[in-house]
Amino acid sequence: MKIVPFGDSALLVNFEQKIDEVINNQVLSLYKQLQEVKEVTFLIPAYCSLTVGFGEQTSIKALSEQIEELTSKSQSTDLDLNTKLIEIPVCYEAPYALDMNEVTEKTGLTQQEIIDTHCQETYKVYMLGFVAGFAYLGSLPEQLFCPRKAEPRKEVLAGSVGLAGLQTGIYPANAPGGWQIIGRTPIPTFNPKAEKPTLFKAGDAVKFKSISSSEFEEIEKQVSSNTFNLEEYYG
Amino acid sequence: MARLHFLKSGLQTTIQDLGRQGVQDLGIPINGAMDKASAQLANQLVGNDTNSPVLEITLLGPKIQFEGQCQIAITGANLSAEINGNIIPQFRTININHGDMLSFRKPVTGCRAYLAINGRWDIQSWLGSYSASATNTVQTTPDSVIKKDQILEIISGKQQSVISIPQSERPSLSIEAPLKVYPGPEFEAFSAIEKQCFFGNRFTIGQDSNRMGYRLKEALKGYTQKEEVISSGVIPGTIQITNSGQPIVLMADAQTTGGYPRIANVSSPDLDRLAQFKPGDTVRFELISFK
Repeated sequence: MKIVPFGDSALLVNFEQKIDEVINNQVLSLYKQLQEVKEVTFLIPAYCSLTVGFGEQTSIKALSEQIEELTSKSQSTDLDLNTKLIEIPVCYEAPYALDMNEVTEKTGLTQQEIIDTHCQETYKVYMLGFVAGFAYLGSLPEQLFCPRKAEPRKEVLAGSVGLAGLQTGIYPANAPGGWQIIGRTPIPTFNPKAEKPTLFKAGDAVKFKSISSSEFEEIEKQVSSNTFNLEEYYG
Repeated sequence: MARLHFLKSGLQTTIQDLGRQGVQDLGIPINGAMDKASAQLANQLVGNDTNSPVLEITLLGPKIQFEGQCQIAITGANLSAEINGNIIPQFRTININHGDMLSFRKPVTGCRAYLAINGRWDIQSWLGSYSASATNTVQTTPDSVIKKDQILEIISGKQQSVISIPQSERPSLSIEAPLKVYPGPEFEAFSAIEKQCFFGNRFTIGQDSNRMGYRLKEALKGYTQKEEVISSGVIPGTIQITNSGQPIVLMADAQTTGGYPRIANVSSPDLDRLAQFKPGDTVRFELISFK
C-alpha cells in the first residue's frame, strides 16, 4: 500500500495495481473505516485504490499517519460492509440485445451459451463510477471476454446490460458508451427519489436472471405506474 | 419575501452552493460553484452562510425583474451588471427595490459571476446540496438550472448594513499568471520531454470546455500512450492526458473515476481562478511541491 498526495485536499491510497477480489476487499475495508473519520469529506473506492478527500481540520501528513495506523491494525478478513445479494432480471432478446451478434462472433459462443454463462456467475460490485450509480461488476468468466466497441455509441439507453473486457455493468441512465450491449433490465438502478439513490454499492453481490420480453414489459409497466415493489431492491 | 422573475435565462445560469460532497462513492459528481472563493464572498456580502446557494452566471447574464425588496451582491467575473440600466458596483451589498430590473451587457473580464441574495431560497435540494446536478437534473434539482420565465422565491433574511470588499482583497481575474499544480499520481510515468512540454508551453482552452472539464487544444508533442491506469478516482482539478496527448482539466461536474494517466492536480485557489478562464484563453502550468 502506498499513500500519495492527490492535490491539496485529497490523498490517493494505492494498493497493488491489479483487478483482484482480495485487493478490492482491502480497499473496501479501509473505505469503511474512513467513513467514521470526521475530517474526511468524501471517498472514492475503486478497483485497487481509494481516493480520500479531506477538509481544513487535518493535513496530508496527519491523515496519512492515521491511514497507516488503521491499515496496520485491521485485516481485510474483518470486512463487514453490510452488503447484499441483488438479483437483476435481464431480457437478452431483441430489441434490447443490440450487440448480441457481435458478441457471438467475438466469443465463438451461441446466444444461449452467452446468456447461460452470464447468468451462472455471482458478480462483485468492485466500484461505482463513470456516471451516478454505474457499478463495475466482475469478473466475467473468461469465455465471455469481449473488447469494447470500436466506435462508442453516442447514447446507450438506461437499463442496458453491457460487457467490456472481463467486466459487466448496467447503464443507470442514458449515457454515451462503448460497452457491448447484450440485454436490458427493467429495474431502475438509479432512483433519485430514494434516500440512497443507487441500487448498488461497492461490495454488493449481483446475479442476473434471464426473462422473456413479455416479463420485461410487465415489470416495466409496473415500474412506470409505481406499482412495482422497488423497496425490495432499495430497502 | 422577494420574488425573482427571469425574463431571460442567460447563456448558462445555474444555482450552485459548495457542492455535494460525500456521495462520490456512489459515482455522483461533487458539482457546486466553479469559483468557490467568489461564491463565498458573495454570500458574505449579504450575510448568508458561505454554503448558501448562489446564481452562477456564465458570460451572458440573465434578465431579472424583482418583486419585493431584498439585498444582493455580485462577485466574480465582470459581466456589466446593471440595475434599471445603470452599471452597479461588484463586490458590494446592493439594496434592491420592488420593480428593479437586473440585466447584463457585455462580458468584460472573467467567465463566471456569482449573485447572492440575502435570505433562504425556496428551492429543492438533493443529497444535501442545492447545486444543479449534471445527471438527471429534472428529477434531482429541477429548480437549479434557470429557464426563461422561471420564478425564484427568497424568504428574506435580516437586513444587513452595506459593505464592500476592497479591490486588493478580491480574487484575481488575471489570465497571465501560471496555474500552480501539484504532481499527479502518474507524474513519474511521463518522460522528461513530455513534462517539459507540459510546463513549457501555453495551452488554449477549447470551445468544447464546460463545467465537467476544460479540454486543452494542444496535445503534448510526440506523446507516447501510457499503460492504461486501472479505473481510479479523479477529482476537480485533476489533469488527465488522453491517449492522443491532449490535457483535460477536470472541473466541478467531473465524473468520479477515470482511466487516463493523471499528470497533475491544480491547487485549490488556482482552480477557482481557472473557472474564470474562457474558451480561447491560454493557460500555463507551474509545478509546485507538497509542503
